[in-house]
Amino acid sequence: MVELDHTFSTGKDTDYNWQAILDLERLVPCVEGGSVLEATSPESVKAEIKVRMGAMSMTFKGTVEVAERDDDAHRALLKVKSRDTGGSGYANADVTFDVADGGGKIHTAAQISGKAASMGEGVVQSVLDALIKDFCGKLGRA
Amino acid sequence: MPLPPGTHELGPGDGTLVVRTGKGGAAAKAGHNLVLEVTRWSATLAPERLSLTADARSLRVRGGSGGISPLGDEEKAGIAQTIDDEVLKGGSIAFRSTRVDAAGDRVAVEGELELLGVTRPLAFDLASAGRRLTGSARFKQTDFKMKPYSALFGTLKVADEVEVAVDVQIPTES
Repeated sequence: MVELDHTFSTGKDTDYNWQAILDLERLVPCVEGGSVLEATSPESVKAEIKVRMGAMSMTFKGTVEVAERDDDAHRALLKVKSRDTGGSGYANADVTFDVADGGGKIHTAAQISGKAASMGEGVVQSVLDALIKDFCGKLGRA
Repeated sequence: MPLPPGTHELGPGDGTLVVRTGKGGAAAKAGHNLVLEVTRWSATLAPERLSLTADARSLRVRGGSGGISPLGDEEKAGIAQTIDDEVLKGGSIAFRSTRVDAAGDRVAVEGELELLGVTRPLAFDLASAGRRLTGSARFKQTDFKMKPYSALFGTLKVADEVEVAVDVQIPTES
């Protein structure tokens, strides 16, 4: 299990930010290589993420859903469940958003297995940290 | 042994020209150290001068060590494509000597390397054994205003310094 904390800034008000993180079709493409394949309900989508490692790449396909939401506290838990399409590994994550005026906080608890995990937990943590920082930057411009 | 007299035109039929790259960054473990062969190049060698031009679109992966899985043919082709599209982009590669000094079994070469339109001095030694010449030169990509290729959100990077190695047999006919 890898746990990471990040903050993001949008310069927008709380309501705007709250709607932005609940809009999965807008949120998922903010992850580099991420795309929505199908909206299965207003709060769940089938999605994939293609992670490029130079010429090699890994594709994870699965679901993203808003598992819990507290509209008063502007806190939401998004659950990501995905499998490596080229192997037997998986990448799951519980991503908790705490939204406020101007931006918010993200807590990520990820579990990764298979080829990606074979790089070691330290490497996975570094890559995931860089991915989420990139995501936070894109979220600020979404 | 001095260089053979006369002017010699050299190319891939006479030997190999390879580029060796390393890797760095937090996710270096995920990347490969690469051996890339330049498959189209031509050189002119005379006792007092050496010049070489290479086709930037002719690099092919001949080997890769490290990484989380071995490189397959598809990945090797993908790397060559990435070099074409994102690194060298078919740019210029040319070396022209300003001084060639053969003494014993060592040939000291000084000159200028042009890489993607940027020219910098480059010096290296070759070893001669009969008609065989071997040697290598090292340079930093950033000295040529190149940004070393990176992936995985910058956590996997090609090392700035690359090595170019040559191993040729000077043909007997000139």
